[in-house]
Amino acid sequence: MEELKKKLKVQIIEALNLQDTRPEDILDNAPLFGEGLGLDSIDSLELMVLLERSYQIKVEDPREGRKILQSVQSMAEFIQSKQPA
Amino acid sequence: MKGKCYIQGMAAISPQQTFEGDLSAQPIVISSSNMLSCVEPDYRAFIPGNSLRRMSRILKMGLTAALKALQDSGIETPGAIVTGTGKGSLQDTERFIKEIRDYNEQALNPTPFIQSTYNAVNGLIALQQKCTQYNNTFVHRGFSFENALLDSMLLLHEGKTDVLAGAFEEITTEHFYIKSRIGQWKSENISNDTLYQHFSPGTISGEGAAFFLLSSTSTNKTYAELAGLKMLYKPSLEKLDTALQTFLKQQGVQPEEIDLVLTGRNADINYERYYHVLDTRLGNIPQLPFKHLCGEYDTAGAFALWLGAQLLKTQQLPVQWFPMLQSPPAKLRNLLIYNNFFGEQHVFMLLKAI
Repeated sequence: MEELKKKLKVQIIEALNLQDTRPEDILDNAPLFGEGLGLDSIDSLELMVLLERSYQIKVEDPREGRKILQSVQSMAEFIQSKQPA
Repeated sequence: MKGKCYIQGMAAISPQQTFEGDLSAQPIVISSSNMLSCVEPDYRAFIPGNSLRRMSRILKMGLTAALKALQDSGIETPGAIVTGTGKGSLQDTERFIKEIRDYNEQALNPTPFIQSTYNAVNGLIALQQKCTQYNNTFVHRGFSFENALLDSMLLLHEGKTDVLAGAFEEITTEHFYIKSRIGQWKSENISNDTLYQHFSPGTISGEGAAFFLLSSTSTNKTYAELAGLKMLYKPSLEKLDTALQTFLKQQGVQPEEIDLVLTGRNADINYERYYHVLDTRLGNIPQLPFKHLCGEYDTAGAFALWLGAQLLKTQQLPVQWFPMLQSPPAKLRNLLIYNNFFGEQHVFMLLKAI
């Protein structure tokens, strides 16, 4: 899980071109939208694409997406829950 | 057109140092390849970091030039935003198309798609300046900017105030290659400062963004009056000659009253014959080409307009940019611009000093 979160932080920075942000600046439980990183609705679409391209997970329900993209922690938990045991 | 059109503020990002500083002190920027690229400013002074991170190059160039033109005019929110672009954001279009192929039409990133639309720059200007007024982008190859200008002039005539008009264009390696296949660029690699020593098929490519705040009244800040605009599609040499005479007559200007002609001459022998019309009709008037400074692109006319207005306002020719200049005119009052885009779209513009 820790490795996954580290990897996710790097991928988020790269996908969203967060030039002045380092992986260690992103706290596991900090909100990605609004406060925290201050991401917006287009970023949420970009993160959906990231999940699909890197982890082959397609989020069909936008309401589900809102919960999944709350934080790096919630994203990592979701990815792990979708991976074969 | 009866209404007046004055340039109250302007800005240009081009392959030369045109964005800031004293023009007369800027040396010519020399490129040894046939693809001229813009000298880009520090965008962070104009665009918030959180917005900047998502924008591609042309969006940053277009938005920044527009904001600087507004700043220059002292107007925060324009009465209309009208632009022209021949190709829009090529970088985003190429990225989007490549991703369609790479990801088999699945999992497509929305940003390059959104930004690949021609009106993306207009939208960004409107959002950043909270402008909910008329907003239009013209995409008509070599007439794109001129149609934006014409629309702006009509808006001023109808009573709109403070119209922001502009153009933006970029060149990418991929697009340069595509156009080289149809012979648009010179086969030999040349330096832009020696362009006119290489009369052969093709020219050099360029790019740029230029914006103008237009108003129907002049002030002591006015750069110049845009007195006339004429577009001609694929004219014969005879028709071009007649159109030039008619254009000047309509503006009430005798040929000998023109102090300087800025020409879109680009050393492409395929279209050089059109410039001979000017040589014959306005033989005694000094001519200066501008394509060695900005390269060839759909909206290069916007660079010419920026340059012309700058010359009229400052009454100074940056001689280091024009090594071909023999005797500079003593005074600049009437300045004619003639440009054509690969022999198809031809444009005359008349600028008058205030």
